Order: sequence, then structure tokens, then C-alpha cells
Amino acid sequence: MVRVLAVLKAVWRAVWRGQGSFLSISTNNFFIFTAYLFRQQGVFLYLIIALLMLFPLSADPLRKIPAERLRLWPLNRREWWILRILSPWVNPMMWLLAAATIWAVRRSVTWQLLGIVAGMFALGFVLSDVGGGAWDGLARRVPGFGGQLRELIRKNLRQMLSTLDLWCALVLSVATTIYRVADRNTPPEGFLLMVLLVMLALSSYAQCLFGLDGEGGLTRYRLLPLHGWQILLAKDAAFLLVAVVLTLALNPLAGLAAALMVLAVGHEQSVKHLKPQIRWRFSSGASLGNGVVQVFTMSIAANGVARTSVLLLVPCAAIYAISLWWYGRTLEVK
Amino acid sequence: MISCRDLTCRYGEFVAVDRLNLEIERGSICAFLGPNGAGKSTTVKMLTGLIAPSSGSASVAGLDVVRDALEIKKRIGVLPENLGLFDDLTVEEHLHLTGAVYQLSRADTRDRSNQLLRALHLEHGRYTFASRCSHGMRKKTSLAMALLANPQVLFLDEPLEAIDPVTAKTVTDLLVTLSQRGITVFLTSHILAAVEQFATRVVLIRKGVVAWNSTIAEVPGSLEKLYFDLVEAPAAEDLAWLGSSQS
Repeated sequence: MVRVLAVLKAVWRAVWRGQGSFLSISTNNFFIFTAYLFRQQGVFLYLIIALLMLFPLSADPLRKIPAERLRLWPLNRREWWILRILSPWVNPMMWLLAAATIWAVRRSVTWQLLGIVAGMFALGFVLSDVGGGAWDGLARRVPGFGGQLRELIRKNLRQMLSTLDLWCALVLSVATTIYRVADRNTPPEGFLLMVLLVMLALSSYAQCLFGLDGEGGLTRYRLLPLHGWQILLAKDAAFLLVAVVLTLALNPLAGLAAALMVLAVGHEQSVKHLKPQIRWRFSSGASLGNGVVQVFTMSIAANGVARTSVLLLVPCAAIYAISLWWYGRTLEVK
Repeated sequence: MISCRDLTCRYGEFVAVDRLNLEIERGSICAFLGPNGAGKSTTVKMLTGLIAPSSGSASVAGLDVVRDALEIKKRIGVLPENLGLFDDLTVEEHLHLTGAVYQLSRADTRDRSNQLLRALHLEHGRYTFASRCSHGMRKKTSLAMALLANPQVLFLDEPLEAIDPVTAKTVTDLLVTLSQRGITVFLTSHILAAVEQFATRVVLIRKGVVAWNSTIAEVPGSLEKLYFDLVEAPAAEDLAWLGSSQS
């Protein structure tokens, strides 16, 4: 039992240290601006955020210890079972679930809601143990593109897929698309707002484009015979592709204009203030000031393109090109 | 092919490499040896454009490492200290990335990739993501990337560590063949016995200062003895509790 307690203590420490990484949401543009702009009206947005965070929060705590290390420790079969049964209780989500069960018994929470939350918790728990193969399968399906930067774009798309920002934007996009198909009388202004929300969900990622590359990736960038703007372009191409696809059924040109501005402003933080990111979390924005400028410029650009003229895409593209050139140079000097 | 003039790297007050002077001729295999923290990797980083020298100058393939950094990158292959791999690409995709960036045709990239994967015994792991590869596989992938674009100069940071003996033999044979074809190899290593077999020049560095620089033929006695004499002698701590009845 002493051995089990020692392992549990290590797991507990690792889990609680890991909880800090979920605080990345507090500097995420989507969370900050929806909380500020919508307040109580934004409940459905907070539900989406909570729903997406539930998956990584439900991960099996034993995964915090490398599987091989765990197998090397001299634990007998009985100790293994005790560890297996007790370790989920190291996760605060398990305690919340237990509390929700008590509330359900007392009729404060419906059994249906409890069932949904418990089911998702179980799914997150199991996926963290066996989900590696599923992720590999999805990542392998990311298409390659032509040209010198094809593999870099593919890699960047995979990185985007491993952030909750993209999945949040996807939920918003799919939900709005279904709504659009079901109700043909919705005014186009409504879709413009949803374009802005989708872009808002993606905007923090544009502030930390190199956050998932790690030390090895950053070294490789410096070794490749590419200009700084080419490396940045490979990042941006993946972002623009995602932005256009997610706004395709809403207003793709407004989405493109917003994406160009989000990137043009986000380059400053991405290049000058590298902020490492963690997979399966919301991106942590590097600067609130940069986030405010991103939101302001993307709103003007998307509104302008949607309400005034598509030609406004030209100045957006020009501003983006200047940013790409300037921060590409900065990247080379770094 | 590689030339350093008073090349220096400082991190604040700490001098990692102090006024390094070197001349490495074309087609040689230069073993750059020294203990951990001696300045080997820092030198490789300066010569490959990963960090800028604090003072002094260096040239690779006749090009200045600061002024012509991009041109140098087109002519060299590098196995960096941290391997420089992306977690989100497979072994094969790393080679395709190299082929695309160095503007090889798709057919050439495919052919060369297949040959390198076979030579380095990496075929079984070609579709494995770098994040799931063993350290040895990651090292071999990075080595294959360094070779794929047919470089004029190879910079290899500890190429023989963490790879299996058969691949190590393949790599050393390959390096000898490459040097005979005029490719210059600059490598760091801690495996003195192996390096002694194929290096043509030996440079020993200690605390950022060159302690020895000669051809391998000019090394008196064994390389190991020279290393222990000039760089650092082994010191064994008697860990008395090891092997005792106390668990």
C-alpha cells in the first residue's frame, strides 16, 4: 500500500500542476470578448467552451506517468487494481461528478444531464488511454498541398487541429450552417456575426503561431534555406485555409478579410514574443492589447467586405502582405 | 572548406567559445571532441547559422556565416543537437519536407528517401510520427534529412550516440565514402574509439579553448589517452552503498 500511495501522490502532484494549463482560457480572445460582450446572453458559448474543455479535463490521471515507467515499478496485481480504482479520484472532475450525482439524487440536477456529463467524462477518460490511434488516423488524413511549403502547411494544419480553438470554431460553424439550411429566412447580418465569432475563436492562435513547434521545430526552421516570410506564409496558409472552410457556408469573403487582419496583427506577438502552447487546450493569447486590435480590425474588415464592397479585400490583402514581409524579416534576424 | 578566425561566443559573462581558429580542408572528416559544456555544440550552432558569433568570423564553403547565412543553408546538411524534428510529421514526411524545401523533384525526393530509409534501417518506421519515434529513430531521421539534399558540408552533432551498432557502422562507412567524394564532415562525438577509426582530423576543445588540433596521423598514441591527458581525466566516486546488502 505504501507503494500505491507513493504513486498516487506523484500522480496527484502532476495532475494538479497540469490543471494550471487550463488557465490558458483566461487569456484567450474568444473567452475574454464573449464574456465582455455577451455576459449572461452568451451562455451557449460558455457551454461550448465547457464542453470542449471537458474532454482534456477527463483524461486518465495515470497517463501523467509514462506507461513504461509505471510498468517498471515493482507493483503486484493487487496494488495495480487499487491504483486503477483510486487514481481517477485524483482528478477534480471525478469529485464534481460525484457531487452532481448527489445533486441528481436530491433532484437539483436531472438524471439526463448527469448522464450526458458522465458519458462525456467516460469518453474523455477512455479516449485519453486509447485515443492516440484515432488522432493518428485523423492527422494522416490532413491533405498535402503543392509547392515548396507543402509539408510545412500540412504540419501546421495538424497543429491547428490539436488546439481547442479550431474545434470551438468548428462547432460554431457547423451549428450555424445547420441553422442556415433549416431556416432560410435568417437575415445575412446574423451570419456576419457568426463569421466574427468563428474568427474570434481562431484569433488567439494567430498570436502564437509557433507555440506548438517546440525547440526542435524552431531549430529546423532556422536551418531550412527559406526566407522568414516563407516560413510565416506556411503558417498563415494553414490558418487562412481553416478560416475560409469554416466560414464557407456563412460569408467566406468576410471570413477571409477578417482572417487576413487577424494574422496581420497577430504576427507581432507570434514572431516577437514566442509563447509555448499545450495541445488540447485553448490557445493562450500573448497580449490583450494585441487581441483588442485584432478584434477591432477584423470587425471593420469583415463588416466592410460584407456590407460595402468586396474590393475592400484588396487593402486587407495589402496590409497582410506588408505584415508578412516585415515580420518575415524580423523572424530572419531572430 | 570551413574556416574560423577568432570565433567567439559569449552568453553574458560566460565565454562558451573563446577565439577559435580552425582550417578544415575539403573532403576531410573533422572530429570536434570535448566534454559536455566544452563549446562543441555552440561552435556547430555558430557555423550553421543557428546563433550569431559574439565576435570573430567564420566561413563555410567560402561563404561568410553571418552575411551569407541563407546561401550556406543551401549547401550544408545538419544534424543538430536537438535533432530539429516536428512532432506533427512522420519520418517520411520529414524527408519529403526536405526535398520540397531544397527544390528537388518529387521523383528524386522519393528515390533518395527510399534509399536513405533503407540504408539507415528506418523503413519500418517511415509512417511513424516523430513524436512517437524512439530517440534512435529520431536521430536517424534527422541524419537522413541532413543527407537528402546532397550537401557540400555536413555538420553532425553526436551522430553515433543512441543508434544501434549496425546503423552506426553504416553511418561511419557512409561518412568515409562521402569524404572520398569531396564532402567535408564536421562532427562532434563522445565515442572516441569509433571516431579514431574514420576521422582524418581531430580537434579537442576544453572550456571553449582549443587544446589540440592535428590530423589523426599526428595524434601520439591513442586518441583516448590524448583526451584524458589534455581534456579531462576520469574520476570515479566510490559509491559504497552500491552492491551492499542495504537495498
